[in-house]
Amino acid sequence: MCGIAGVIYKDKKTHNVGESLTAMLESLQHRGPDSAGFAIYGGLNLPETNYQLNIELKNKPQLLNQVKTTLSQISPIYNEELIESVDNYNVFRCEIKLEKYSMLKPLIRNLDQIDDIRVINGSHSFEMIKDIGKVKDIAKRYNVPKRVGTHGIGHTRFATESGIDRYHAHPYQSYITPDITVVHNGQITNYWKIRDPLERKGHTFESLNDTECIVHYMADKLFQGYKLEEALEEAVKDLDGPFSILVGTPNGIGIAKDKLGLRPGVMAENDDVFAIASEEMSLQDVLDTDYVEQIAPGETRSYTI
Amino acid sequence: MRKYVIDATGMDEKELNRSIKEHAVKYDKLIITNPQSKHNIAAGVTGDVEIDIDGSAGYFVGTMIDGPKIRILHNAGWFAGDNMTKGEVIVEGGAGDGAGQGIYGGTVVVKGNAGSRTGEIMKGGTVIIGGNSGFMTGLLMMGGRLIVLGNVTDDAGESIMRGTIFVLGEVKSLGKNAKMEQSTLDDQEELKEVLTKYGFELTDIDYTNFKKITNKSHKSVLGGD
Repeated sequence: MCGIAGVIYKDKKTHNVGESLTAMLESLQHRGPDSAGFAIYGGLNLPETNYQLNIELKNKPQLLNQVKTTLSQISPIYNEELIESVDNYNVFRCEIKLEKYSMLKPLIRNLDQIDDIRVINGSHSFEMIKDIGKVKDIAKRYNVPKRVGTHGIGHTRFATESGIDRYHAHPYQSYITPDITVVHNGQITNYWKIRDPLERKGHTFESLNDTECIVHYMADKLFQGYKLEEALEEAVKDLDGPFSILVGTPNGIGIAKDKLGLRPGVMAENDDVFAIASEEMSLQDVLDTDYVEQIAPGETRSYTI
Repeated sequence: MRKYVIDATGMDEKELNRSIKEHAVKYDKLIITNPQSKHNIAAGVTGDVEIDIDGSAGYFVGTMIDGPKIRILHNAGWFAGDNMTKGEVIVEGGAGDGAGQGIYGGTVVVKGNAGSRTGEIMKGGTVIIGGNSGFMTGLLMMGGRLIVLGNVTDDAGESIMRGTIFVLGEVKSLGKNAKMEQSTLDDQEELKEVLTKYGFELTDIDYTNFKKITNKSHKSVLGGD
């Protein structure tokens, strides 16, 4: 099934987005027990040239040093933190400095060559947290309720098409344009029809997962100059299969539902908050309103700050 | 009237439904507080008990009931009243997709808007939507009556085999095997009776404006035409 949730605060100020998303996803826990994740925007406040990396590494002697050695050939390492995860893995989180954004993806590729490590993501304006297990445990492991931001999206996963691991947990990120993330409930049935033209443009795929395909599709549209709402409308036209997709950008969130409306999506808003989720119970965690809108088949909704 | 309050805070679905069934046989009215949009509330409850849900319900509220009168004070998720045989499910707010899915009897009322596929595969009973109803309203309908006071969107009555859909507002498009005509005087009398019973106040002119969607053929149209 999978559960999706997103929240954005209209005053553009930082709020307890981590706490809000944790509550929203805990309410949707029944929709997927395998993994969960968060993309929390607007709270990192990194210098313009800096990026946060999250790197999964096996708990083996010297592996962390190998990662640091590779990284230090490119950049100084700041604010490093080692987070103990499950299944004998840790997540190494640090900050690096790059001369330009285009250096980020090659660096990630380079790091991924090292055995027993995998870069979960690299970002500038948002914080990615995703791991195996229940929302409550992941939130505690990464201290998510203390994370602040202006907006964010989250996901709890019922795995159907690819493995249960940190990389395949949502959100997915694309590097075609900076800091685009997607969470998704559903299946894309014309996967290769979407992927082929993107690969012909030179965009690279790391997996056969349909959510990765969607995030590259959305990032490509945004890179071309489409506004978020327009890119979501294009997705409704181009993507086949049952889906509700929720997109995060540095200044907004938005949802698109498939033309037959086969996956759920509801939204509500007031003067302060705009929120989207799979089910109403999740909205009640951030909004005190009885007016809940059902996202119609083929409909898109978004909010940007 | 003997009333009993069940505070659903912290209860899982099975625990809540066990409590509802246990008390439904001893009391005339149950009030569920803090329902927190839980799914499957009052699933399979039988008898003449009244159940007020003081908040929103999640998916499948009142599924397979036979007799109870359930009132949801806020909203309902997908498939409100699914497969019920007797009784009432009244939603004071809006409902998600598939309200009244597959009902055999009884009445489902949504005072606000409903999502897609309202009344799909319903075989009997009555579904009333006070607001608008979405895509494929009355999909594969096999019986009963579905009344929409607002507008319906695309493919109304898609593959309808039996039963009747009445629409007061606009119909964006009809589905396969659906035909639409003006309601008759008998239809309007029937509509007035049932809508008045559930508190909908319409003028006499409104009743004359109801359109009636039924099937062109009695044969299933699955596979296309």
